[in-house]
Amino acid sequence: MNATVGQCEATRRAAALNRIRGPQSALTDFLASHNISAAQIHLDHQRRIQEHEQRQQEQNAGNAEDDNADAAGEDEEDPVERQKRKRKEEKTLMKIKQSKEFKKRKFEQKKEHGSDTEMDDDELARSMLAKSKPLPGQLDNCDICEKRFTVTPYSKTGPDGGLLCAKCSKELKDEEKKDAQANKKRASAPRGRRRQTESDRLMGDVKPGAKSLVDICVRRVANVVHDIDEFGDMPQSVLDRLSQILSKQRVLTPRVLELFLRPDIDRIDIYDCGKLEQEDFQKIFAYMPDVKFVNLRFAGQMKDGPMLYMVDKCKKIRHLQLGAANLVTDEAWLQMFQKLGPQLESLKLSELNDALGDDMVEELVKNCQNLKRLKLRSCSHMGEASVDALCALTKLEHLTLAVAQQETSAATLVKLITALGRNLRTLCLEDYPELDDSVLEAIKNHCNKLTKLRIRGTSPCSDAAFACIFDNNSGNPPLVYADLSDNRDMDNMNPEGPQDNPIGLGSAALEALMKHSGERLERLNLKSCRHISHDALINVFDGVKQYPELKDIDLSFVTQVDDVVMNGIFKSCPALAKLAVFACFNARQARIPAGIAVVGLPNAQDSIVVGGALNDW
Amino acid sequence: MAVNGTPSPFVTLVSSDGFEFHVRRSAACVSATIRRMLDMQNNFSEAQTGICHLENISGIVLEKVVEYFYYNEKHRNSEGVPDMDFPSELCLELLMAADYLIT
Repeated sequence: MNATVGQCEATRRAAALNRIRGPQSALTDFLASHNISAAQIHLDHQRRIQEHEQRQQEQNAGNAEDDNADAAGEDEEDPVERQKRKRKEEKTLMKIKQSKEFKKRKFEQKKEHGSDTEMDDDELARSMLAKSKPLPGQLDNCDICEKRFTVTPYSKTGPDGGLLCAKCSKELKDEEKKDAQANKKRASAPRGRRRQTESDRLMGDVKPGAKSLVDICVRRVANVVHDIDEFGDMPQSVLDRLSQILSKQRVLTPRVLELFLRPDIDRIDIYDCGKLEQEDFQKIFAYMPDVKFVNLRFAGQMKDGPMLYMVDKCKKIRHLQLGAANLVTDEAWLQMFQKLGPQLESLKLSELNDALGDDMVEELVKNCQNLKRLKLRSCSHMGEASVDALCALTKLEHLTLAVAQQETSAATLVKLITALGRNLRTLCLEDYPELDDSVLEAIKNHCNKLTKLRIRGTSPCSDAAFACIFDNNSGNPPLVYADLSDNRDMDNMNPEGPQDNPIGLGSAALEALMKHSGERLERLNLKSCRHISHDALINVFDGVKQYPELKDIDLSFVTQVDDVVMNGIFKSCPALAKLAVFACFNARQARIPAGIAVVGLPNAQDSIVVGGALNDW
Repeated sequence: MAVNGTPSPFVTLVSSDGFEFHVRRSAACVSATIRRMLDMQNNFSEAQTGICHLENISGIVLEKVVEYFYYNEKHRNSEGVPDMDFPSELCLELLMAADYLIT
């Protein structure tokens, strides 16, 4: 120490004496004029470091330290300063000696070493002082970066118990904040997910385990669709799913539409065209002249222009589905039927309130002779004459008719079924109030290939006639899809319906249907068939009879359904994924096996808690 | 490696840029594509060597895919599983990879 100080003194003297200097920079000159010397600063710094190291060595040496050494070490220090420091140290030592911690340690040491080792109080206090943290205002070395810094009340404690400098404190604080935020996010995630889980449940998706990666990615892509410039080589199935999600979120704007326009694929499915205008429709057909499948729903702003452009440009269209295209006039429809009609294999038109009257349907029939699939739903100008005209479309395999408002007689329907029945694989007749037993009989006699049948919203049909369709003697193949909802007696005065000759789809029909099609049936909709008896339900779903393919059942408003029936359904339908039981108030206690989505229970919150494994009810 | 008839419990997935991932066989089989690659009965070279070269998937994406494999396996029987998180920049590439791997 002495040597260092001496050296330092010597340099200072040399600097003062030696006035002959080499060339200097302006800065050095300026600093020199203010009595600041870089060499001096450097030397001082070195000295401080050495001092510090020395002190640490002394501290490490521990008991080797004594007052003499101390005095020697601080030889050059101002005696007043030294006195002050010493007094301060003594004061802290006194404080430590009086503290509880000190007494405790002393006691422990005595216990350890016995009375023979006379541990000096001073020594013990000093060792505690070394460990105790410096007070604010003092200097310390940072625990992480080892830099020297001034301790403040805000200095953080590092991972090893030492204090941290301002920079490291800040970093630690930031990290803690980030952690806290992540925790918060993790904690709040289930709340947002709850909604998604419920939404999935209504869609019949309650499979345990993580969603497929494709599903997760598609949802994510849909969320960030506005940041995406191009989908690239997205496979068709994924594009379709994206279109569905984006349509549901109502974000299919002209900008998003462009992502879907690809000349290399042959189909376009947009489920919500509500935000698209004339030029956007035109753009679709301009970009994709080779398109074969066109599916545009809610195309409310599609007018004659794009329609005629499509007829002109897209010569390869085979499948056309348009929804709510109400600004297209009859002339444009006529053009379309005439130009594209002969090549169309499927045509689906819905929600047309302003065009497509009986005369247009006649044109349709005349031009579209190759149709295999026809769906006309809510076309309010279609009447009985249209149904009559459709008898000429003998190549039809799939037919869906849901004509609003206009009533059609049973005789016309019988004529239609007689004419087309033998090729039909799908037959859907919705909301024909006149549909009666004679039509059901025609279905039984003529539709020998049917796999999908929907007869909805009739009131005059009898239970016996329904049962007759599924008579095993008919030789008709089993159905895969049966929707016989809303077939019931409509007499308010007699809610039970006539007893001797039951009206609507009742017990006998249900038993016949399940006997006939139980092997293959995948979907069964019996909503509002309220004349089905409890006995029939128990009999059909007795837990012994198995319906291996049945995935989706709707028994809403079939009030006879109770816990016994539900348990029977769970046992009889091993593949069941979704069961709808709205307004079945007797069924609320049934244990729902994992993996089955039951919707419509009155205590919706409770039903989320489902039984554990599949075989544990 | 099917030396003794018992396949190793680990397989190696190699990305297009040469990153190798040693993954538990059960986890890798979350992907139907890889499951078929590794099926002994199909007699692909992948099944014999236990190494799948995925030439159309980059290392960054494959890392996430592997993360999903383990994530899927971990949550196999739990309800209301949160979606796995990944950076949005990756979502298109990851989607293509997931579609290819039938995951």
